[in-house]
Amino acid sequence: MGKQGKEKNKKGAAFILKYLWRHKIAYLIGLVTLFVVDFVNLYIPQFTGEITDGLTVGNMDRDGVIGNVLKILLCGGIIMIGRFMWRYTLFGSCRKIEYEIRVDLYEHLSKQSSNFFNNNKTGDLMSYFTNDLGAIRQAVGMSVISAFDASVMAVMVLIKMAVYVNVPLTVLAVLPMVIILGGGIYYGRIVEQRYDEKQKAFSEMSDSVQETISGIRVIKAFVQEEQELKAFAKINANNKKKNMSVVKLMAVVIPLLGLLIGVSSVITLVYGGSLVLKGTLTPGKFVSFHSYLNMLVWPMLAAGEAITSFSQGMASMKRIGEIFDVTPEIADTKETDSSITGLKGAVSIKNLTFRYKEELPAVLENVSVDIPRGSSLAIIGRTGCGKSTIADLLLHMYNVEDGHIFFDGHDINTIPLNTLRSGIAYVQQDNFLFSDTLQTNIAFGSRGYKELPRNKRIDRRIVLSKADSLEAYLEEELSKRESLADKIHDDLDKVMEAAKAADIHDNIMEFPKGYATMVGERGVTVSGGQKQRSSIARALMKDAPILILDDALSAVDTDTEDNILNNLKRLRQGKTTIIIAHRISTIEHCDRIMVLDDGHIVEYGTHNELLALHGRYAELYEKQQLEGNEEGETA
Amino acid sequence: MNGQEEKLNKHPGTFLRLLKYAVPYVGHLTLGLFLMLGVIALDLYRPILIGSAVDIFAENGDTSLLTGISVKYLICIVAIFLLNAASALIIGYTGQSIIYNLRMEVFKHVQSLSLRFFDITPVGKIVTRVTNDVESLNEMFTNVIINLIKNTVKIIGLAIVMLTLDRKLALLGFMLLPVVMVLTYFFRKIAHTTYRIVRTKLTALNTYLSEHLSGMRVIQAFAKEEIKNAEFNDRATDLYHASFREMMVFAIFRPLMYILSVLALITILGTGGLDVLAGGITVGTLYVFTSYIQSFFEPIQELAEQFGTLQQSMASAEKVFTLLDDNTKIKAPETPEHIKNFRGRIEFSHVWFAYSGEDWILKDVSFVIEPGTSAAFVGATGAGKSSILNLIGRYYDIQRGSITIDGVDIKSINIDELRHYIGQVQQDVFLFTGDIKSNISLKTEGISDEAVRNAAKNVNADRFISRLEHSYDEAVTERGATFSAGERQLISFARTLAHDPSILVLDEATANIDTETEGLIQDALSTLMKGRTTIMVAHRLSTIRHADKIMVMDDGQLKEQGTHEELITIPDGIYKKLYELQLEDNEGTEPGLCGTV
Repeated sequence: MGKQGKEKNKKGAAFILKYLWRHKIAYLIGLVTLFVVDFVNLYIPQFTGEITDGLTVGNMDRDGVIGNVLKILLCGGIIMIGRFMWRYTLFGSCRKIEYEIRVDLYEHLSKQSSNFFNNNKTGDLMSYFTNDLGAIRQAVGMSVISAFDASVMAVMVLIKMAVYVNVPLTVLAVLPMVIILGGGIYYGRIVEQRYDEKQKAFSEMSDSVQETISGIRVIKAFVQEEQELKAFAKINANNKKKNMSVVKLMAVVIPLLGLLIGVSSVITLVYGGSLVLKGTLTPGKFVSFHSYLNMLVWPMLAAGEAITSFSQGMASMKRIGEIFDVTPEIADTKETDSSITGLKGAVSIKNLTFRYKEELPAVLENVSVDIPRGSSLAIIGRTGCGKSTIADLLLHMYNVEDGHIFFDGHDINTIPLNTLRSGIAYVQQDNFLFSDTLQTNIAFGSRGYKELPRNKRIDRRIVLSKADSLEAYLEEELSKRESLADKIHDDLDKVMEAAKAADIHDNIMEFPKGYATMVGERGVTVSGGQKQRSSIARALMKDAPILILDDALSAVDTDTEDNILNNLKRLRQGKTTIIIAHRISTIEHCDRIMVLDDGHIVEYGTHNELLALHGRYAELYEKQQLEGNEEGETA
Repeated sequence: MNGQEEKLNKHPGTFLRLLKYAVPYVGHLTLGLFLMLGVIALDLYRPILIGSAVDIFAENGDTSLLTGISVKYLICIVAIFLLNAASALIIGYTGQSIIYNLRMEVFKHVQSLSLRFFDITPVGKIVTRVTNDVESLNEMFTNVIINLIKNTVKIIGLAIVMLTLDRKLALLGFMLLPVVMVLTYFFRKIAHTTYRIVRTKLTALNTYLSEHLSGMRVIQAFAKEEIKNAEFNDRATDLYHASFREMMVFAIFRPLMYILSVLALITILGTGGLDVLAGGITVGTLYVFTSYIQSFFEPIQELAEQFGTLQQSMASAEKVFTLLDDNTKIKAPETPEHIKNFRGRIEFSHVWFAYSGEDWILKDVSFVIEPGTSAAFVGATGAGKSSILNLIGRYYDIQRGSITIDGVDIKSINIDELRHYIGQVQQDVFLFTGDIKSNISLKTEGISDEAVRNAAKNVNADRFISRLEHSYDEAVTERGATFSAGERQLISFARTLAHDPSILVLDEATANIDTETEGLIQDALSTLMKGRTTIMVAHRLSTIRHADKIMVMDDGQLKEQGTHEELITIPDGIYKKLYELQLEDNEGTEPGLCGTV
């Protein structure tokens, strides 16, 4: 990844500029306000000093004191408003930027190919959204403010010190502070490195916990709790160690800053004091100078913090930038013919050879098959023979070269991705349902986007009234929104129809909430078979010209399988269907059957033709037959 | 849910409970605090030194006095540096240690919870508790507690010094205190709520995100990226609004606090200045006062800030404690019994079981499985078959009746011991990140590479494993996605065999296996079952038919039991019907008698 970052077209951390530019006006207003605040802030010590001076010398009367006090009040008022304004504009913008990056990053990920997701763990991707995004928000918010504020304030204070008080004194007193600047740069580098390690240790820990929890059933069954605890103790200790390395650094560096500033005070006391005694400096200016010196403390500290947070932010920006730089492997290209707006259902594969990576052996070798529109093709073969790969390739989940896969005579590489995938209904092997209602899940492939009405007011009200049951309330609101989606789309009839065809309707009606039942983590746990049939319902409801069932009937009993197959026959009349299976019962009625072995087509034909070949298919058939017969004899 | 919510918000309880974790480090903390107090005292001394210098100027005193003050000041700042560094180290170490301990406790607790907890709690939520929520407590131990004490001491110290210097000016300076307190109180309340909203929404969004990243394939296959993007945008906008509001709370509060400090300053300057004119106090005293009044507000504002952090920490702590208080545990027997001469006779006697309330999954189920025999459960989905398997290993506790192994109630057997006897083969095989070897031996000590290899050989897994590039050291990535279902199944068999259980509990996988692998699996199964009491939910007729006893479940009740031959002779029997149905429909193919599980 690091190497890639240096290539051309790879922007790395620079992507952040785009977002900053988008908020340039808010940033400008914020920074100007910040400047004004700093500027006005300088006058408060001056007015305070004038009072001290006037009183020491004895040339200030009652009105003079009151006048200066009022001036301070005015300054305070301006500063108050200014502080609100820069918070509003700058912090507001950084929240907005965080939101924008979050949404863009998600969208970017949604364009990535299966390869990308094979190579990047969900947990790692998640950490971009949690840790890195937070660090970036800090960097573009807090550190920008600190850095700007610190430098402006430092410069202005210095000018004020030099002009209003004394130049040599200023030069001497500020000398130790120069060390801070130099040290800060060095220190920033170390911090970045240690912080990086700390982050790594933390995400390693997250991964380990995630895995333990996901595998808790195995852990309990094999009484591995003790061992898991030991393994976790190691990871936890490493996390502590990496945290301590940051703590140690901070423990020295921050007080060191204070020490350097203190040295400035001593210089002021010695040299400034002697100036006062010589009569070159008034006691009032000495007092003001001391206040100014104290005003430099914050900028120096802030500079340090900004450096820390900025280097952390930079590391995160680099990481996220690298992800943004990954060009989606599969996307519409110049070749894409946007005039293709739909599929009719004819599929043809010609001399297709495919490997996942160049160095790996071919998964499919020289596979050719024609699937006329409206026909059905079955693919059968042992595990790992490449059956599922065909489905993946038809869906354009992986790239194939031109001239191998055609839909209605168009090369797959010329068909817009959206058109292609909209034309195919797919039931995948490992069924996946979303944590949503069953209705939404089944209708997933058929719904367009409809905006849900939102109610912002509710939030404001609950801040005060629902404080005690906030989390529960928010949860409930979320569920309400989800069922609202079902109401708005109003597609229950069609959903039920599809569910009946997939023989899951009765199961769903047994749930207390029927189609409104939430699936997954926040709702009921559905069994593998139920998931599978829900996925089939989802695909049937999509009613696409091409249907691919990838081992989609494996977890249903033969009785149900029969029902579903009969429904399929009825619903898929005139449409193309591809069934990948192990059981001959599932596929024997298909128009054509392809037997795959080790990426090659070894046999191809109808059920009867294949039986007559007395080859692999017949052998398989006999094996399965044998078992049936054995049962039959005892019956 | 309501019960949990009521528990929230009781900050004092949560706070005290958190403090308990600091008890082992009370020495460290006291030392850290002591050093901190030294820093405060020295910090208070600094303006006095400068103030006396100013007085020297007014009196036109001599240089030697000034030199003395400078030396004192220098010693002061060096001491501050050393004390600060030392206390930061000590306190940082303490915080990290507490976090380490707490995290271990949470992890241990989570592992000890019953499966019921994992059934109803999202994985992401648990992970957040163990990682992020515990992490945010770090801040509280390293910064908040110490600073709370530090600032309180500072405020009291300042107040005393000011009162001694000049009572009138001091009292004037304190006038604004009630306003500061009221403001802080409201700020605290609102900030806490807004923070909780943000946290909840963030968690919800991240849960959504993690799910959708794992399900991206489906989204893409259905070409629904745009709709899902819009949906994500919707939720992200929601979070943005919440976090914007949180920002506003601070944007309003901070400037308000600032203007209060300015008001205090001008009150002191005004009245103090006039006092100087009237000859009441010296200019030096006025200087000390103006610098004190500013450092007086600093700790108060800091206190308010620390309350903010404290609230965040408390919110996390509440969540962590709610988890720690979750007692969905299987109770360990007080006086565990051992099974002498283990034989493996399993008996269910009038067992009633429900996951919650009166929603009975099993109703008065009784049966006996003799040692070394096998029993297969058949029946429709939801008939309670899988529950029975989970009850034997005591992953859930039954409400009525008893389950015994060799006559000993499983409730009086040490759980670890009980589960050592039992080899559980799950329908969904879970593989851990690591390699094949470690997935077979797990982290159990005493399973040698040799034993791993033998186990794999005996269940026909050796063949595909040795074909892999790194054979037994082949990496297993996220959940074993690179292996087929059949291969995963075989690995899980090897895992079970390597642990050599006395009782085999088997939830037969239904899915995704080609005929050839299927043969290997069937063969491996019979190896596994040899000499072990086997209790299983079976889907394949061959497995069922070879069972010594078939139990037919219907609606939570055991309706029929016997051998295959016995059962098919029962007129109008459930098994007979199921069986005939299969034969009719599936002549020549491989029938199964079960509904889906």
